[in-house]
Amino acid sequence: MKNSLTIFKKEIKEVIRNKNIWLPVLIVTIIFSIAMPAAMILGSNAILKDPDTVNFINRMFGDVDNPMRVLMDFMIKQLIIFLLMIPAMVPSLIAPASILMEKENNTLEPLLATPLKTPELLLGKAMTAFIPAFALSTISFLMLTLVVDVASYIKLGFAPLPTPEWLIVAFVLSPILSFILTMASVIVSSRSTDIRSAQGIGAVVIFPIYLIIGLQLAGFFMLNITYLLVGCLVLLAVCPLLLRLAVRIFDRENILTNWKMK
Amino acid sequence: MIKVANLTKRFKTVTAVEDISFNIGESEIFAFLGPNGAGKTTTIRMLSTLISPTSGQVTIDGKNPADDGDYIRSIIGLLTETPGMYEKISAYDNLDYYASFYDIPAQRRRHNIEKYLKMFDLWKRKDDPAGTYSKGMKQKLALSRALVHEPRILFLDEPTAGLDPESAHMVRQFIDSLKHENTTVFLSTHNLEEASGLSDRVCIIKKKIIRIASLAELQGSSKSKRMEIVFSDGASKFLTLLEKIKQVSSVEIRDNRAFLVVDEPHQSNPFIIRSLVEKGADILYVNEIKASLEEIYLGLIKDEETR
Repeated sequence: MKNSLTIFKKEIKEVIRNKNIWLPVLIVTIIFSIAMPAAMILGSNAILKDPDTVNFINRMFGDVDNPMRVLMDFMIKQLIIFLLMIPAMVPSLIAPASILMEKENNTLEPLLATPLKTPELLLGKAMTAFIPAFALSTISFLMLTLVVDVASYIKLGFAPLPTPEWLIVAFVLSPILSFILTMASVIVSSRSTDIRSAQGIGAVVIFPIYLIIGLQLAGFFMLNITYLLVGCLVLLAVCPLLLRLAVRIFDRENILTNWKMK
Repeated sequence: MIKVANLTKRFKTVTAVEDISFNIGESEIFAFLGPNGAGKTTTIRMLSTLISPTSGQVTIDGKNPADDGDYIRSIIGLLTETPGMYEKISAYDNLDYYASFYDIPAQRRRHNIEKYLKMFDLWKRKDDPAGTYSKGMKQKLALSRALVHEPRILFLDEPTAGLDPESAHMVRQFIDSLKHENTTVFLSTHNLEEASGLSDRVCIIKKKIIRIASLAELQGSSKSKRMEIVFSDGASKFLTLLEKIKQVSSVEIRDNRAFLVVDEPHQSNPFIIRSLVEKGADILYVNEIKASLEEIYLGLIKDEETR
């Protein structure tokens, strides 16, 4: 564990110095945690005057007493899903950069010749991708809550967050997704020599996120606790498979003889 | 210190190293020579526990890499053929990072980092990112990294590649000094002069071992010897006489010198010199010209190719 922490500390210093990693994350956080919820809540009166929005509420939820409250709940569900982009994006940016830079700089072989164990190396690399992803996504969810509750309280007189769905997405689904993306990025990076193509793994996950949002907007289904828990269980089942594959890839001989090097 | 018995490594259908055996003693400098693709790097990787052999045995300090890999890695230092550094972090932090994986107290670690950075004249730039270093400086930094935990066995793959003559000389002197510190050095190099100057024994490999011997043994192994005869005046008038002597397999005349390749010189030289003196030659010197390691190496590789 000491060796994994040494790797983690060194890698995190490099991540902080690399604005190609943290700048996109910062932009996404600002858009989905602050700008979008603030704009939606502050402009909610105008939204409710739009006949299409009223029709949409009637079609989705029937005749409701408080259309503003219903609209808020619906918008929050979309925003929570949008925020899943952060736990998906951060590991897919960090892990390939971390692994491919080792390949590019020829630093892996001397590292593997030290008494460092390969699971320690994998853990160190995984922590470098997972911990920032978990921390940043938690900060984003907390920021979203703060912005939504403050803006809603000022404008509408109530604070809608946290909801049970919010808790599940922020503290169960988000870490699971970060873990999956971390392992997938490690696996993809071992077979790649190009950082950008390896980072593309994040885009593969962003597609289902958009699909869920699209299906909700089209009225095909509405995300609830049951759907979220089933989704979490399915993703959880994938975790050990990816972990096993990543451990197999992170073997001294495999790294030196089968990994694609520059 | 290192025992290798019938070691073979195959990658799918390609045999990289086939049935090699040798022993290396403590404090010995063992030079490993061979053309590109001869299996030198693969052998170093097997000995440094990075890859496992297809068959055969390796013992390092009495331990088997398969069972005691962690122990072996703790007593070896490795300078790879293309040593890389973390370009964005300082030279000092690079060494500190690698050294932290060994079980050495922090104070000793700091002392060693300072010692080697000063030894290789890098101390003044210790806080500069490694990416700003020249190729030679990076090579010296990589050598410092291989040494920072004071290994008992050092694997060096082309240690002076990319170094200026002064730095290369410094590195060679340092490698030579390791003998007195009980460090065993496994030196893979293309620089034959370096190998002949530093090593106790030389191993010539081309997938299989072609020859293992000390330089003196290699030089003494040939039945033919190169001789130089220095005359007081022009040597060309003795060319015909020398060509007629059956023990002389070749003659080359340059001014007042004749260069001969002589079979069985202990028996032939008195006859050759007597014949020359009888024909009126004033001989100033007769010297044996020892074959260089380069000549021996090229000869052995050529023999292997024609076999």
